[in-house]
Amino acid sequence: MSTSLTIPKLQMSSTEGTLAEWLVDDGANVEEGQPIYCLETDKSVQEIEAPAAGKLVHKQAAGETYPVGTEIGEIV
Amino acid sequence: MSTDIKSIDPGTLKEIYRQMSRIREVDKGIQAGLSSGKFMFTYWPMTGQEAIPASIAPLISSEDHMVTIYRGIHDQVAKGVPLKGLFAEALGREGGVNKGKGGSPHISDPSSGSMLTTAIVGAGAPIANGLALAEKMRGTDKVTIVNFGDGATSIGAVHEAMNLAGVWKLPVIFMCQNNLIGEYTPIPEYTASKNFTDRAEALGFRGVRLNGNDPVEFHNGMKEIIDSVRSGNGPVFVEAMTLRLGPHAGVGWSHLLKGEELQEAKADWPVPATRQRLIDAGICTAEELDDIDSAAVAEVAEAIEWAMSSEVTGEDEMLLDVYGDPDTVPKRGQRVKRDAEPEYTGETKTMAMFEAVQDALDLSMQADENVYCLGEDIGDDPGGVFKCFKGMQSKWGERIRPTPIAEQAIIGAATGSALVGMRPVAEIMFADFVGVCMDQITNHAAKQRYMSGATTHVPMTVRMIAGGGIGGFGAQHSQSTEALLLHQPGLKIVYPSTPTEAKGLLMSCIFDDDPCIQMESMMLTYALKEEVPVGDYRIPLGVAKVKREGTDITLVTYGWQVMQCLQAAEELAKEGINAEVLDLRTLLPLDYDRILGSVEKTGRALVVHAAVEFCGLGSEIASTINEELFTKLKAPASRFGAAYAPIAYSKTIETAQVPNVASIVARVREMFK
Repeated sequence: MSTSLTIPKLQMSSTEGTLAEWLVDDGANVEEGQPIYCLETDKSVQEIEAPAAGKLVHKQAAGETYPVGTEIGEIV
Repeated sequence: MSTDIKSIDPGTLKEIYRQMSRIREVDKGIQAGLSSGKFMFTYWPMTGQEAIPASIAPLISSEDHMVTIYRGIHDQVAKGVPLKGLFAEALGREGGVNKGKGGSPHISDPSSGSMLTTAIVGAGAPIANGLALAEKMRGTDKVTIVNFGDGATSIGAVHEAMNLAGVWKLPVIFMCQNNLIGEYTPIPEYTASKNFTDRAEALGFRGVRLNGNDPVEFHNGMKEIIDSVRSGNGPVFVEAMTLRLGPHAGVGWSHLLKGEELQEAKADWPVPATRQRLIDAGICTAEELDDIDSAAVAEVAEAIEWAMSSEVTGEDEMLLDVYGDPDTVPKRGQRVKRDAEPEYTGETKTMAMFEAVQDALDLSMQADENVYCLGEDIGDDPGGVFKCFKGMQSKWGERIRPTPIAEQAIIGAATGSALVGMRPVAEIMFADFVGVCMDQITNHAAKQRYMSGATTHVPMTVRMIAGGGIGGFGAQHSQSTEALLLHQPGLKIVYPSTPTEAKGLLMSCIFDDDPCIQMESMMLTYALKEEVPVGDYRIPLGVAKVKREGTDITLVTYGWQVMQCLQAAEELAKEGINAEVLDLRTLLPLDYDRILGSVEKTGRALVVHAAVEFCGLGSEIASTINEELFTKLKAPASRFGAAYAPIAYSKTIETAQVPNVASIVARVREMFK
């Protein structure tokens, strides 16, 4: 079962977020709870942890801003 | 520094760990769902505070009551709220414990004793008092625990609630989960207090500080406290010292714990720390604890899968649970037909309105032992500042409860007791004082049925007196506040114009299952006397009554303006205008059927009220008449209320600013030009 990664809505005011940096390479294995990317919003920069273990697949490039709900990757 | 592990039963500590593990997995499940983007809702993590409810859980049962706040998922998990329904509720789904209508900040699950969750900081404390009061009055040994953060100690509701609990010796525990930070602002930036326990001591009851991160110390301390409260020794305030490892809202770790603070805080995190202590003490093997954790992981995974498969709650639920009866919801032009009371032919007695009100209270208390009264100065002497309670305390004892001067505490106690089936009648001395308790009335009593998906409801009645018209009460004791309250879905509002109707409507309110407000005008409290039915007498809510039949115009009105309109109608009759006077009696549910029926006959309508005209009930009714009866009207329906100013102290201004006989006559004349 794969886990989709989308830009989360972590604050009531969030409409978009910037995928500042992937902390794990495309195709690498991640552990649950391991920081996988940096999310920048108007409030702060936050490390997002892997919600599941598996192989991380990047689907969007770092350094861009995406609307909440945009799929940026997957853990398979 | 941890308390000796030998001071707790090993099985109990293992059980506490099991609850902590469940809480931790729920927290992780939510954060994983949010950070992956699968869930979208606002979350206030309680990471780090797991030991508090987990250590209490073995000491209470589902029969004991719990109230918590939006950062209270850990309290709910430990209290026994089913996880499937909890996740579905957070996701706004049909399978939620509250049908997806409350959401994670408003969980109510009476089956586990989780009675109410508030998103208004500190507002749960007055309501918890009500739950505790109900149990004290019924003579049970149930305890109520109300959880809140240290930030809530700054708000007035908590102070009012603590004072009332102290003076009434209520079986309630104020559980202050002190994580040293109120949302984003830490101690000592928001308080100069050295601790919070002193506040309880200042109010005359025990305040105890415990280490909320040490389940052994905390459980043992709480055992003694819960036993004491259960035995009737009155309330206890507990300051449970802990740390919040997460942010105020969102996911991840706190940004507010700087440098090594977060690492130090994590070292004291009770979930891994307790796990290690159980192993070190030889109580559990790592394998046994792995089994506990695995069971929690599986339980949470199953709950999330179940919740995600539940449908998002649909529009068909929108107008359900606002009231017990969906027809109470006002829908423009929907003519709900309600039967009027039968004509009364029995025995009567001469009464003024204050006597009729007392008669209704007395009969209701006789009819149902769940009925009780609370309010300022209602004890003997003086028996209420309006004399409605004269002799009642002597007759009924503790069921007549004079309160501190604290409206939030009064309404909260009424609301909480109503949640468990009491039928409280609260008196708010003057209608202007509703501002002091607006949060309790509108955010809690009014919304609770809806937010809880009808798992709870609030059968309470609030009486409030409007001083306007008499003169000399000034701007803060004279206002007609009904429009403020009409704008709050969930309340029913009556406004009688005669002693008989005050009695009949009040008895119907008391035995109604929704929160009701009876407004009484001081213009009518003593001045008007009439023959009032003796014995149980009820007038159905939502039924207007024609007080004078006419053919040329309908004066739609209520309260003391009925008297004015009746006199105006006699003046108009001299000029050949035959006015019908329709007394609404109930403002919500509104009797559109009789309003439209009367105007269909007369072809003209003027709505008259003592409340400010701008954005008042008159505008709503006039607009509806114009829309529904456009082709049948001889002139546009209009409204006439008070000028847009606070009520003046000067009698001359007050008389001029509120509709009076002469100004009503003048307005009607204009409509016939």
